Amino acid sequence: MAAPELLSDEGYRADGRRPAEIRKVRARMGVFEQADGSAYIEQGNTKALAVVYGPHEMRGSRGKALPERALVNCQFSMATFSTGERRRRPHGDRQAGELALLLRDTFEAAILTHLFPRSQIDIYVQILQADGGTFCAGVNAATLALMDAGIPMRDYVCASTAGLAEDAALADLSVPEEAAGGPVLALALLPAGGQLAQLQLSARLHQERLPRVLGAAGAACRALHAVLDRVVRQRLREVAALLGD
Amino acid sequence: MLRTEKVLQLRGQHGRSVRVVREHYLRPDVPCRSGLCPAACPRDGKLLSDDVTHYVVPDCKVVQDYLEILEFPELKGIIFMQTACQAVQHQKGRRQYNKLRNLVKDARHDCIVFANEFHQHSYLPREKGESMEKWQTRSIYNAAVWYYNHCLGQMPVVMVTEDEDAIGQYGNETEGVFVISFKNYLDNFWPDLKAAHELFDSILQARRERESESQENSGKEYPEHLPGEIVEAGIKSGRYIQGTLNVNKHRAQLEAFVRLQGFGSKETARNRAIHGDVVAVELLPVQEWKGRTVALCENETEDKAPADTTGDPMPTGKVVGIIQKNWRDYVVTFPSKEESQSQGRNAQKVLVTPWDYRIPKIRISTQQAEALQDYRVVVRIDSWESTSVYPNGHFVRVLGKIGDLEGEIAAILVENSICVAPFSEIQMSEMPVSSSKNPWKVNPEEEKKRLDLRDTHLIFSIDPKGCEDVDDALSVRSLPSGNLELGVHIADVTQFVAANSYTDVEARARATTYYLADRRYDMLPSVLSADICSLLSGLDRYAVSVSWELEKESYEVLRVCYNKTIIRSAYKLAYETAQGLLDGDTGAVDDIPELKNLDERTREKKLAELVWAISKLTEIARHIRAKRDSCGALELEGVEIRVQLDDQHNIHDLIPKQPLEVHETVAECMILANHWVAKKISENFPHQALLRQHPPPRQEFFTELRECASAKGFSIDTRSNKALAESLDKAYDPQDPIVNKLLRSMATHAMSNALYFSTGSCPEEEFHHYGLALEKYTHFTSPIRRYADIVVHRLLMAATLEETKGDIKENIFSNKDLEELCRHINNRNRAAQCAEKQSTELFQCMYFKDKTSETDERCIADGVIYSIRTNGVLVFVPRYGIKAAAYMKNKEGLVISCQGDRNCEWKPGSLHRFQDKITSTTTTGESVTLSLFDHITVKILVQTSRCHADTIKLEIIRNAPYQAPAAEVSQKNFHVVKSELVKAVSQSAEAAQRAQENARAEVMAEDYQKYCQSKGRSLYQLLEEIRELALLDVSADVRT
Repeated sequence: MAAPELLSDEGYRADGRRPAEIRKVRARMGVFEQADGSAYIEQGNTKALAVVYGPHEMRGSRGKALPERALVNCQFSMATFSTGERRRRPHGDRQAGELALLLRDTFEAAILTHLFPRSQIDIYVQILQADGGTFCAGVNAATLALMDAGIPMRDYVCASTAGLAEDAALADLSVPEEAAGGPVLALALLPAGGQLAQLQLSARLHQERLPRVLGAAGAACRALHAVLDRVVRQRLREVAALLGD
Repeated sequence: MLRTEKVLQLRGQHGRSVRVVREHYLRPDVPCRSGLCPAACPRDGKLLSDDVTHYVVPDCKVVQDYLEILEFPELKGIIFMQTACQAVQHQKGRRQYNKLRNLVKDARHDCIVFANEFHQHSYLPREKGESMEKWQTRSIYNAAVWYYNHCLGQMPVVMVTEDEDAIGQYGNETEGVFVISFKNYLDNFWPDLKAAHELFDSILQARRERESESQENSGKEYPEHLPGEIVEAGIKSGRYIQGTLNVNKHRAQLEAFVRLQGFGSKETARNRAIHGDVVAVELLPVQEWKGRTVALCENETEDKAPADTTGDPMPTGKVVGIIQKNWRDYVVTFPSKEESQSQGRNAQKVLVTPWDYRIPKIRISTQQAEALQDYRVVVRIDSWESTSVYPNGHFVRVLGKIGDLEGEIAAILVENSICVAPFSEIQMSEMPVSSSKNPWKVNPEEEKKRLDLRDTHLIFSIDPKGCEDVDDALSVRSLPSGNLELGVHIADVTQFVAANSYTDVEARARATTYYLADRRYDMLPSVLSADICSLLSGLDRYAVSVSWELEKESYEVLRVCYNKTIIRSAYKLAYETAQGLLDGDTGAVDDIPELKNLDERTREKKLAELVWAISKLTEIARHIRAKRDSCGALELEGVEIRVQLDDQHNIHDLIPKQPLEVHETVAECMILANHWVAKKISENFPHQALLRQHPPPRQEFFTELRECASAKGFSIDTRSNKALAESLDKAYDPQDPIVNKLLRSMATHAMSNALYFSTGSCPEEEFHHYGLALEKYTHFTSPIRRYADIVVHRLLMAATLEETKGDIKENIFSNKDLEELCRHINNRNRAAQCAEKQSTELFQCMYFKDKTSETDERCIADGVIYSIRTNGVLVFVPRYGIKAAAYMKNKEGLVISCQGDRNCEWKPGSLHRFQDKITSTTTTGESVTLSLFDHITVKILVQTSRCHADTIKLEIIRNAPYQAPAAEVSQKNFHVVKSELVKAVSQSAEAAQRAQENARAEVMAEDYQKYCQSKGRSLYQLLEEIRELALLDVSADVRT
């Protein structure tokens, strides 16, 4: 059997998308009542849940409190049932820890932390189903949850992956595309200003090709921004209607 | 876009079944790619033409099994559904799938792929419990119906399937969409396409055979191949070695080599791998390693005597898996009647012998075996089961009678995968019109865009006499500042060959003009090559010019520019005339037609200008050459001799033995132009420029050269190209100039090939050209006969445009495409060289075939020994340019011995081989010693073979130089003899043909006129090509 190709000669990916098209996105804000903010997002078959608490006083070791800004505390975890084969993912696993750190870096760049000195913001991300771009789905869900919690931010943080098939850049990779072995670039973008909040590359990529992949990831982030913006405005209308009553 | 999901059951890593969910997006905007489409489908790319009577939709099975028939260009309007393509990809593997992809990409074939599974209305999800095959058939039918409705029923759609149920179920369901079997389809729609019917029958039969065989499943002849994952893992861990299998031409049954990082591994356990396959090899334990056989061997298939293995044992292994099969079309011969009777038992299956010794016999099932006995036939291999000694194949088409010139030439073309049909009408319709009544004229709009050099520059071309396709011209003039301006003007072929036009696609497929001994197959239609693109004197032509400003004293390059220009060549000089002018020979003036009919004074003035230009050019060229020499450029020797004929097959031009200085001047200017263009394009397109590299050779390949040279007392320093050039110059024996020639040719054989490559695929330090001693080199100067030059022209134009107008990168290949293209061109060049060599050998054999040494003086010639083997010597015959083996021990075990008058006889005795000589001692005590570079007299014989190409054999008849009364004369004119040879053979072939079939003779003669050489090539190109040929031709046979 010949190896499946990422991009057919007619310009379709294995799932019928064109190279620059992102997967279908569905999102909801405020899925839990008890938390300060929460959101749920589906990007294709990747499903992520994010919950935000705070800003609140430091819990646990007070010594960690920062005098001039808020501490962002993140946790990233994948459900044991998130993949095709059930696999136990204990809390302390290395990959999750790493992703949590990345998540923290990303949101420290976006949240106006200096407004809340000596306090703490908690972000919990749970992946319910994994089908490529789990970290990015987590970032997008966390953005919505932060918005839901009313925490001031510089801008939306939109994240998307991109990869390469031969010479064409593919946006928003699915699992089979990630598994094909090519470079995977994960980008978190502040769309209004175009600043990069996070950039991650999984394999060697020639300098010459970087702008192309980066461009594809950026475009995907902007497309996501449009969707997330619509979700937020929709939520705002709903909440406003509730308040009006 | 609609989003749906597909649920698949896949086998997981540990053999467990895993449920996998994949997204599947459907869309309304899948282009239908039909010319008739009434809706607003995007119309870019390839479209189905609308001048067909119906569209045909083959289903999965048909595409998988009968793709070869669908490849017929007569079958038009084919829609490959995505479902069918994917089935091919999954079930038939990469090779078959790539074939399908190339078919669809090829602009000449009227077929498209419709992505039915991504279209909102033509996609059908697979139902629960539905079998894969049923679903595929249903999807394809549904897509065919959609297609029919989409085109508003303007065009009936025929779905062909092998599934009887489907025919019954869907046959009458929709009006306008017909479902029939493939056989039925061919019978009804293409009753006249005989070749397709034959192919259909032969494929069908081969399939049935296979099925019945797999049921029998008798004892295994070969061990099974290891599964792909194990082989891959083994290669990674170093347990297996990956390499391309290279079968020894002279001992096809016994030896095959896999060349990897320099060492060869010999193996007899080839396990169904065929020459050219990429295989995984497992090494055997050291005690089973074998040495290389050094004895000469007659290539007879029944000769299976254990060869005496001498030499050091080398790594030996066995094939455990085939990574990539490299099967192509093979030319074969059916066994003669006597032989087939011995095979008789199974009348339908015939073992046929391929033309190429390296390919095993192929089993064919056919009923036409008797009828095809005397013909050369093309077959394809289908499979090779582990239960079968020979591979199974099927018959494809007939080439021609055995021994017939046309048939043999066709065999050579097929063996080298060269396809040269005449240019089609659609290609010719793209060509601009130019006839003697209505000559082609410069377009006034184009005139404004180009730099006009018609009045400012004295431009002239130097070519061989009678040359029609002039693709380069030169100019030189002094600038007001006192500096010089040197210009090289190359025909602007890309102006007429638009990227991706039909002509372009065809030229790309051909990649080069093919030159055989008596004819040639042009890359571009002759209206371009001989007329509109040819820089003839007195006519306005488009050109691409490279001009340099040179410092007046030192000739340093100060400035270079690249322009699209219009030029009018003032003179079309012959090499001899130009050399005459240079030498101050006044007689040469009469050979310049452009200077006739002028009054004395203007003539004098013009002549003075021309002479100044030529001598200035020569001076500049000497300078550049000296600079290159100091870097270590090599002067190499190609032993090949070329013949030029005009369209009546008469000798038309001979290559002079001593090249004139003008040749070098022109060649040097071209090298300079190529070099500067290479610099320019690699700067502007650092990752997608086409350059030509010549990697430095491996030192161990020079061992033979060094040993040979030391036999004559010369030492060759091979450490760098400069040292090699110098020591080769020194290795000159004043008594025997051939020694130097042979040493040079050995040096070239030791070198690796010069190759095209894309700059993005190779680190910059490997760009170097070893032979020319330049850091960057490309081919720019012959766009009429090389496709690489056309690509370089486009790159150069894009590079210059980019500077003036910003980013224009259309029609520039990406690195990946360019890499693929380079591989293709390199491959084609190699095929062109092989075909040329084989055709020359064919002519040599046909020439000597019916001559016997008793009656014909020409069969006896002087030879030089250039290599020693255990049972004979390899001899070079300078008079005919033949290299062949001469045995010192014959089949009865008799050895050669010499009498007092040095004539040789066969007598019982033994042979002893030393480093640089071989001694034969007879039982009576006489002994003869032959050493390297000895001159001997040989008789030229032809060893005929029914299934293979004939070969030349030599027999030593005197242990002394040949001294015929005419020896001197023939030595001098050996080119004449060679061309006579070709002429004689082709004339006799023509005569035979005429006698045979009077009716067809005229048609053939016409074809002859069309293909045979109608024009000479410029001599500098020839020289350049010889130089490069020499670099390229590292054929293994010399080292055996």
